[in-house]
Amino acid sequence: MAQDHHNVKAFVPLTFGYNYRVGAWMEKYLDGLSEKKILGVKCPSCGKVTVPPRSVCGACFTKPEQWVEVPPEGELRTFTVGRVKVAAGEIKDADEPYVIGMIKLDGADSLLSATVKGIDPDNLKPGIRLKAVFSDEPKGTTADLSYFEPVE
Amino acid sequence: MTMSRNVAIVGWKQTKHTACSEVCRERMLYELIKEFYADLGITKDEVDTMVLNSNDFQDGRTISEVYPVSWVGAFNKDQTKVDADGSDAVLYALMRILSGNYDTALIISYAMGGSEFRNQAIMNYTLDPIYERQRGIINELSASALQANAYMLAHGLTENQLAAYAAKNLKNAAKNPFALRQMADATPEAVLESKPYYSPLHELHGYPATDGACVMLLASEEKAGQWTDKPVWIRGTGSCQDTYYFGDRDLVKVDALRKAAQSAYAMAGVSNPAEEIDAAEIHSSFVSQEPIFAEAMGLFPEGSGGKVIDEGLSLIGGKLCVNASGGPQGANPFTTTGLIRVAEAAAQLTGKAGDMQHPDSKKAVAHGQTGICGQHNTVFVLSTEL
Amino acid sequence: MRDVGIVSVGYNGRFVAKRPDINMPEMIQAAVENALSKTNLKFTDIDAFVEGNMPTFEGVNYPSLWFSEHLGAVGKPVMRISTGGTTGMSAFHSAYYHVASGLYDTVMVVGWEKHDEGDVQVGLAGIVLPEAFSLMQNFGPDLSDPSGAGLGGGSTGGASYQATSYISKSGGSVEHIDKMAAQARSNAALNPYAHLQFPGCTAADIAKTPITSYPLRFGHTCPASCGACVMILTTREKAAKASDHVAWVKALANATTDATTGNLVDGQITDPAEQAHCRMIAKKAYEMAGIEDPMKEVQVVEVYDGFAHQELMWPERLFLIPEGKGPEYLDRGALAIDGEMPVNPSGGVVSTNAIGASALVRVAEAALQVMGTAEGGHQVPRKVKNAVAHGWGGLFQFVTVTILGDQPRS
Repeated sequence: MAQDHHNVKAFVPLTFGYNYRVGAWMEKYLDGLSEKKILGVKCPSCGKVTVPPRSVCGACFTKPEQWVEVPPEGELRTFTVGRVKVAAGEIKDADEPYVIGMIKLDGADSLLSATVKGIDPDNLKPGIRLKAVFSDEPKGTTADLSYFEPVE
Repeated sequence: MTMSRNVAIVGWKQTKHTACSEVCRERMLYELIKEFYADLGITKDEVDTMVLNSNDFQDGRTISEVYPVSWVGAFNKDQTKVDADGSDAVLYALMRILSGNYDTALIISYAMGGSEFRNQAIMNYTLDPIYERQRGIINELSASALQANAYMLAHGLTENQLAAYAAKNLKNAAKNPFALRQMADATPEAVLESKPYYSPLHELHGYPATDGACVMLLASEEKAGQWTDKPVWIRGTGSCQDTYYFGDRDLVKVDALRKAAQSAYAMAGVSNPAEEIDAAEIHSSFVSQEPIFAEAMGLFPEGSGGKVIDEGLSLIGGKLCVNASGGPQGANPFTTTGLIRVAEAAAQLTGKAGDMQHPDSKKAVAHGQTGICGQHNTVFVLSTEL
Repeated sequence: MRDVGIVSVGYNGRFVAKRPDINMPEMIQAAVENALSKTNLKFTDIDAFVEGNMPTFEGVNYPSLWFSEHLGAVGKPVMRISTGGTTGMSAFHSAYYHVASGLYDTVMVVGWEKHDEGDVQVGLAGIVLPEAFSLMQNFGPDLSDPSGAGLGGGSTGGASYQATSYISKSGGSVEHIDKMAAQARSNAALNPYAHLQFPGCTAADIAKTPITSYPLRFGHTCPASCGACVMILTTREKAAKASDHVAWVKALANATTDATTGNLVDGQITDPAEQAHCRMIAKKAYEMAGIEDPMKEVQVVEVYDGFAHQELMWPERLFLIPEGKGPEYLDRGALAIDGEMPVNPSGGVVSTNAIGASALVRVAEAALQVMGTAEGGHQVPRKVKNAVAHGWGGLFQFVTVTILGDQPRS
C-alpha cells in the first residue's frame, strides 16, 4: 500500500467554461422543439431523413437543406431500464427506475433515443407505438422534447 | 492489398494493472520500459521510432506526453502520439515500418483510468457537446445497454447467458497475472447480483477503472530475429469508423467492425475466419459486445451468442477462444486496452499465455475500439507463419 | 519507398477570432469541401483520414468521432493524432505514412481548432496541471487591441526566456522582434486566409503594444484563431489525375527533448534557444531529401513562430540562414517575400494560430509555394524547388520538419 506521504492531493481551482456554437441546423431543430415540432433534414441525393438534423448526409456528403417536419410518433425498437444516473462522471443510484428507448420515428430514417414514460418496465417490448410529449414552457433547449409515452 | 514488407511483433510487456498505481505514471512507464528492454536484450538506440498512446482527457493533462517522453526514452528520438485506442497506435507503428523508413517501432501506452478522473466523466466528454451531452440520455452505460438489449431482442440471448459471458471472463482474468478484477469462482448469479446499471447490464458486465501501461516492439522481417525466435507476424489489418450519430448506426451489425475485419482478413488471406482463427482478443468494454463484435468479425455465426456460451465454444480449449485474458472485464486501462488485446493475442500465438494458454494457437485476431458501442474499430490478424 | 504527393490544400475560409455562425463539425466540413473542390476527386476517393487538434481547448474528447460524416469518412479509417503545437505536422506525417506504407493510396489530413468555443487559459494551464500550477501565465485581460485577437499559443514565460537567450546570442534587440512581427503581419495582409492582417504594419506599430513578459510584447504574440486546414496526399500514380498541382514530400523528421521548465523553482538548466535537436533533425531531413546546401537549394521556409523572435531563430536552427545572422538578414530584407530566404510569406503562426492547424498550415503554405498557387500576393517570386516547413510544441521540446519539393524523391 502506498504510504500517505507518497500521494499528493492537488486541488486545482479551475473552472472550465466552454461556450458551444450549436450551428444553423441545430438552431432550427431547437426552434422546432420549442414549437412542439420534430424537424429533420432530407438528403437531396439519397432521400434519407435524419434527426437530429445536421449539415451533411454522411452517406452522400451532400449538404441537406430540405427540412421535413417529422410526425412526433413512432415505434419502440429497443430499450433499457436505468437504475443509475451518470452525473459528473459519477454513477449514482436513480431515485426510481426509468426507461430509455430507441424510437423509429414515422417520418425519419434515424432512430431517436429518448426517455419513455407510462410503460411498466415488465411490459416493454418492441413495436409499442409512442408519441412525443413536449414541454409547455419551452426554453429552446433539447429538454423541450421531454419524453415519449404510449399512444392510447 | 498485400503488405510491402513483413512486420512482426517481437516483444511486449504490461504492468500488473491496479485500481490506483503505487507510483506516478512516469515511474510506471520508466520501470516498464527498462524491464522490457532488459528482457528483450535491446537498447534504446535500436528503437528507430516511437508511437506513444494516451488520452489527454483521461490523463487530465493537455499534451499528456510532455513529461512521459523523457521517461520512456524518447529523448532525441522520432516520436509521435496517437490520441485514440492503442490499436490505432499499433497500426501507425506498422505503417512506419511498412514505409521502409524504419525497421523497428515501439508502441507505449498508458492510462491512469483508476486513480484519475472517473471514466464516465471522460466518456461524457466523448459525446458531442451540443446534442447528446445536453440531453443526458446517452452515456457509455445506457448506450451499451441499448446495444445489448437490441442483440438480445434480435437473437434471443438470455440474461443468464449474458451473465455467463461475464463469469467466463472474470474466471479467465483470475488466471491472468496482470488483470485487476479477478474472480476465480465467478458465476452468472454473482454477476446478476452485482449493482444493476441499465438493464440488462450490471457492474460486473462492465470493466474496472484501471491504471496500467503496456509496451510493444514491432520489427521488420530483416531484424525480427535479433530479439525473438517466435515472431508474431501481422498478416492483415483493417480500421473503420462508423457515423457518430447513435440513431443512425446498426448497433447489432456494427458495420464498421464488419468492414475493418473484412479488410484484415482479405490482406491475411483468411477466407473462413470461423474455421481459420484459433483465438481472439476483443475490446468489449461491456461483455454484451463480445458476441456482437465476434459475430461482426465472422468468428461465430450471426445470432449464435447463446449457443456459443452454452456449449463453451469460446472457452480456453474451446473451438475459438475469446478473451482468454479476461478481456476488459479483467482490466481496462482506457486507451491502453486495445494494445493489450494485441499483446494478449501475441501471447497466445507464442505459447506465452501461461494458465490462459489456448492450445495450438496459430492464427489470432486482435480488436480495439474507440468511442462508444464500436463506432471506431481497428482489427489485426496475427499469425505464427508468413 | 513510395513517393507521396500533396494534391490539394484547403481552408474553411479565413482564420478569424470568432465564428459564431458555425459549429466545429461544420467548420471541418467547409475545409474538406474546399480541399476536394481543388481536385478531380470525389469524397469516396479518399481511402483514409487523419485528424488532429488539441482537444482540451474545445472540451470534446476524440472529436474526430463526431466529425465522421462531416469529413466524408463514414466507413473509412480515421486516425487521431495529438502532439501539442506540432499536432498539425504530426498529423501530416501520419497521413504521409498512411500512403508511404502502401496500405492506403489517397489520404486526407485535417488540422483545426475553434478557440472561440473554449477557454485558452484552461487548455494551456492543463499542460503542466497539476505539477506546476504556478507556470500558468497571465496573458493580461486587455483584449481590446484593433484586431480583436485573443492570446494563445504557448507559455509566454518560457518563450520570453528563449527570446532573451536568442537576442543575446545573435546580437539582436527587442526592436528586431518588433520589426519581425511587423513583417509577419504585413505578409499576412497578402494572405487572404490569415487572421491578423495589417497591411503596411511597421515596427513602431508593434512597439506601441505593451510588454507582456520581457522582451515579448503583446504584438509579438500569436492570436487564438478559429479555422481548419485540410490537405490531400496521394501516390505518384494517382497524383496527376487528381490535380494539376502537386508538391512532393521529400523528407520528414521529428524529435523530442526534455520538457523545458527552466523557470520552475527546481531550475532545470536548459536553454530553449539552443534547440540542438532541431539542428539534428534538420540535418536528417536534408539528407533524406538529398539537399546538400540548404541555403542555396531551399527557396522558402515556413516556421512555427508562436512568438515573433522565433521567425529569426528557427531559420538559423534549420541551417537556412547562418547562425546568429537572423537580425542582420532581417535588417537587409533577406527574409522578405522577395528576399533571398523568404520566411513565413503566409504571415506565420504569429498572424494565425488555430493551434491544431498551425503546424499543418506550415506544410500547406510550403506546398502552395511549391505549387505556385499561394493567393493574394504572398507567393514568392522565385520558382520554388524545395520548401521547408517546421513546427514546435509542448514545453519547447517537440520539433518536426517536413521538406517538400517540385520533384518526387525518387
